[in-house]
Amino acid sequence: MKLLSTRTAVLMLLIVLFVLGLAAFNIRYFNSAFAWAHSHANRHYYKNGMLSVRGTVYDRNGDVLLMLDGESIEFNAEKDVRTAVMHVTGDREGSVSTGVLSALKGRLTGWNLFSGAYSFHKKSRSELTLTIDSGLCRAAYREMKGRKGAVGIYNYETGEIICLISSPSFDPQNPPDVEGNPEKYEGVYLNRFLSSAYTPGSIFKLVTAAAALENIPDIENKHYLCEGRIAIGPDSITCLKAHGRVSLQEALAVSCNTFFAGTALELGAETLQKYAEACGFNNSLEVDGIRTAAGKINLKNAVGADLGWAGAGQYTTTANPLNFMAFMGAIAGGGEMVRPRLIADDSSSFFDFKPGKKVLKRETADKLKAMMRNNTITSYGEEKFKDLELCAKSGTAEVGGGKEPHAWFAGFLDRKDCPLAFAVIIENGITSRAAADVAARVLQEAAKALKQGRNL
Amino acid sequence: MDAVISLFDTGVDLVFSLYTFIIRWLMPLLAFAVLLRSILPLWQDRKHKKTWAFLYLVNGDRIPVNNWENLIGRSKLADIVINLPFISRNHAVLTFHDRHWQITDLGSKGGVLVNGEKADKKTAVNFGDTITLAGLDMTLLPPDDEREAVENNDEENSYSFSHATSSITFLLVIVFQVLGALQICISRGTGKNAAVPAAFLVFILAECIHYVLMRRRSKKSFVLELLGYFLCGFSLLIVASAAPGALYKQLAAIIAGMVVYTILEAVIADLGRAQKIKYVFMAVAAVLMLLNLTIGETYFGSKNWINLGFITFQPMELVKVAFVLAGTATLDRLLTTRNMTAFIAFAGACFVTLALIRDFGTAVVFFGAFVVISFMYSGDIRTLFFVVSAAAFGGFAAVSFMPYIAARFAAWGNVWQYADTSGYQQTRTMIAAASGGLLGVGGGKGNLYRVAAADTDLVFGLLCEEWGLVLALIVVAVIVFFTVHAVFSTKNCRSSFYAIAACGSAAIFLLQTTLNVLGSVDILPLTGVTVPFISNGGTSMITSWGLLALIKSAEW
Repeated sequence: MKLLSTRTAVLMLLIVLFVLGLAAFNIRYFNSAFAWAHSHANRHYYKNGMLSVRGTVYDRNGDVLLMLDGESIEFNAEKDVRTAVMHVTGDREGSVSTGVLSALKGRLTGWNLFSGAYSFHKKSRSELTLTIDSGLCRAAYREMKGRKGAVGIYNYETGEIICLISSPSFDPQNPPDVEGNPEKYEGVYLNRFLSSAYTPGSIFKLVTAAAALENIPDIENKHYLCEGRIAIGPDSITCLKAHGRVSLQEALAVSCNTFFAGTALELGAETLQKYAEACGFNNSLEVDGIRTAAGKINLKNAVGADLGWAGAGQYTTTANPLNFMAFMGAIAGGGEMVRPRLIADDSSSFFDFKPGKKVLKRETADKLKAMMRNNTITSYGEEKFKDLELCAKSGTAEVGGGKEPHAWFAGFLDRKDCPLAFAVIIENGITSRAAADVAARVLQEAAKALKQGRNL
Repeated sequence: MDAVISLFDTGVDLVFSLYTFIIRWLMPLLAFAVLLRSILPLWQDRKHKKTWAFLYLVNGDRIPVNNWENLIGRSKLADIVINLPFISRNHAVLTFHDRHWQITDLGSKGGVLVNGEKADKKTAVNFGDTITLAGLDMTLLPPDDEREAVENNDEENSYSFSHATSSITFLLVIVFQVLGALQICISRGTGKNAAVPAAFLVFILAECIHYVLMRRRSKKSFVLELLGYFLCGFSLLIVASAAPGALYKQLAAIIAGMVVYTILEAVIADLGRAQKIKYVFMAVAAVLMLLNLTIGETYFGSKNWINLGFITFQPMELVKVAFVLAGTATLDRLLTTRNMTAFIAFAGACFVTLALIRDFGTAVVFFGAFVVISFMYSGDIRTLFFVVSAAAFGGFAAVSFMPYIAARFAAWGNVWQYADTSGYQQTRTMIAAASGGLLGVGGGKGNLYRVAAADTDLVFGLLCEEWGLVLALIVVAVIVFFTVHAVFSTKNCRSSFYAIAACGSAAIFLLQTTLNVLGSVDILPLTGVTVPFISNGGTSMITSWGLLALIKSAEW
């Protein structure tokens, strides 16, 4: 029988092939089961393509943002609120891919690999509390006055995002004819704060300054004469006016292009690239499983005037608002970045807890903080930001193509009782003052809310 | 009063929820225990070797004869290796058929003599006779103290498999089935449908009777039957959940299957009878194929049904048993004639029929079994390679020229792109599998049953959704175990007839499961074959039991 016994090898081969096939399926299963389970054809979770689970999504104060009762999806009772938070909640059709209804649907369905769609009770409900403050979002959205752009504020000590709006938005309870108004609703399904990347303009000078502080000896005491323009090869870098003799601190306050162009050339492309990446460029962040877009920087081929302009935040560099806000939080936090998050008291974050990420040296961060504080006092006007202890940097980013520049304003409050970092972007906002005004009002609102005892 | 009733309802709901919660854990554990208890003896009891006779050499050495069919020769693969230069590699075959020893010369150079007389053909050898292989004399003598062993070989031959062990496993199987049946009753609403408890009651009764009868008859290992019960119970759970209307039909098929198993096992236990019965099966199969071609009816694209008015069945399912038997041969025949013409002709008839009735999936299964059997028959890798290449070409041609098959291949690998058209069934299977997680949503609570063929072609998804990936994989493991069992039993098998029958049957089990499981989740193209024992289907169930009897026949 030995002879036949050896010939059973062909059967063993079939077994091996089958087991390999099964292994392939299991690998696919473990990688893709979440997506399979959340396919719109899954009757455990969807009816007619609409999420049919039961659950409630609250903001940080317990206000209802979303109510799912298995048959329908209801949003906040107030139109302005639900419009303002629409990019966070998502819409019924799931067009806003970064909204809770799409990106965090797993939290609503409660699906996990172990239990699948099983639930102990037939009518079990899921509850989800977000870190945002719906009142603050409403205020921020109103301040945008229909202009395109985004506002985000987060607590740089806890990581909680308290305000996150993207404009334009719409009332998800009564969706408008988006396709019929392409101009008005351009990119309306996009959460610009999470998923866009804009030319940073002058706010990038904070990165150049950080690199300069650590790499150019005695930079703080050096002075530089700005004549309004320097020629580099055939090209030139220009300022709006000649700033005269400026130090690093003064150059940042007046946003002197030639100073930072010169600094960038002195640093070299490689160093600047390294610091930009450390500060969050070329990196996307994950906010409770929602991936942000990454700001991009590539200085490989940047020489001469290109490198100069890169140091001033022009060239081909782009910044993602959320990543930049996190960079602001890192400066505020002494160089350590706490990851922004959207889900309150998250028990699962216990398992994937990641400590704050070291972005800058403590000294560098503190020096930047002092300079940013100086920006507010000397350039932006302390009365507008009364009592906020604001540290900030404005930016006017040229976008070319005959369009008005984007307006940026980003920074943080140096207050232990109100540790907030923020970023505001207004597309084609013309001057950075537009963004600064929005920031001023929303931050005052946040401070007021805090005084009223709202739990920020 | 209403408040009391609603309180009571809440209480009942809570108890039901608790029940599901507990059995989601308990049932996989039970199933795992059953699987483990079935696998372990296979490794533990390997050492047993029964000596049927001794060959005494002139120098006083003796060689034990451990099989019913022994290849004698110089080859490493011979059962009795005589490493002398004048002995041919495959010199002769010494067989013990119908209680008589016989020797067959395999065309050796040195020749074979029995008591000095030239033995060209199969020649009888009695104890005390002298066999001369190329001048080397040896005497066949019975084993020392076990002369009686020859008389009641069946009983003594089998290794002793503890009754206690198998009855505990059997108990676990029954507990598993009762728990599962209760879960289905809960999900479908209490008291509304008496069919489920009734069907399970009859089923458990039937397997108990079968168990007692079989245990009386033989002391052999009982692993295969127990696992057969286990799988049948699962098929009832699936039918109860997904196609409750077919519950009694499936129950009847299971009982018929057990009867077929019992009869077939008894009939082929005797090798002489088995060799004759083989031709009866082949003749019946030929008639079935002719009937299928003439009065067959078409469902779901394949003309593979026969409707006799009172009963409908799939003839090609039943042909599988004959197909496997057609490829069997005893070792002496296998090594002397090397003639596979009959088997190839029969297989050819099967393939032609399958092509005419457009049953592509079954054709693949038959072909796989053909490869396994013909390789066991010939041992020729070149032939194997040639056959597989030819089939690959044929398959390619079939896919190219037959649009209905090409359509199936079109979605393969991209089913999510065609999620609502040609990839509908596969995507729904994957959705169901993902919804079940590792432990399932609970029997009777799935959604896949809404999709056509959920209880047959997509049964793996149904298993995953309602009972969880763990249980689904255990079920698959049981079928893989049948195959491993066949491979293992070949080693000490009484006759190559049984070895080929077992391996051919195992190949069919394995290929059907492979095509079904991997097809439904888009690793392979979806071909629409059943999972043996599990899928809803009467003919498939009876055939599964028939093939299991062939696997059983090889048991040492």
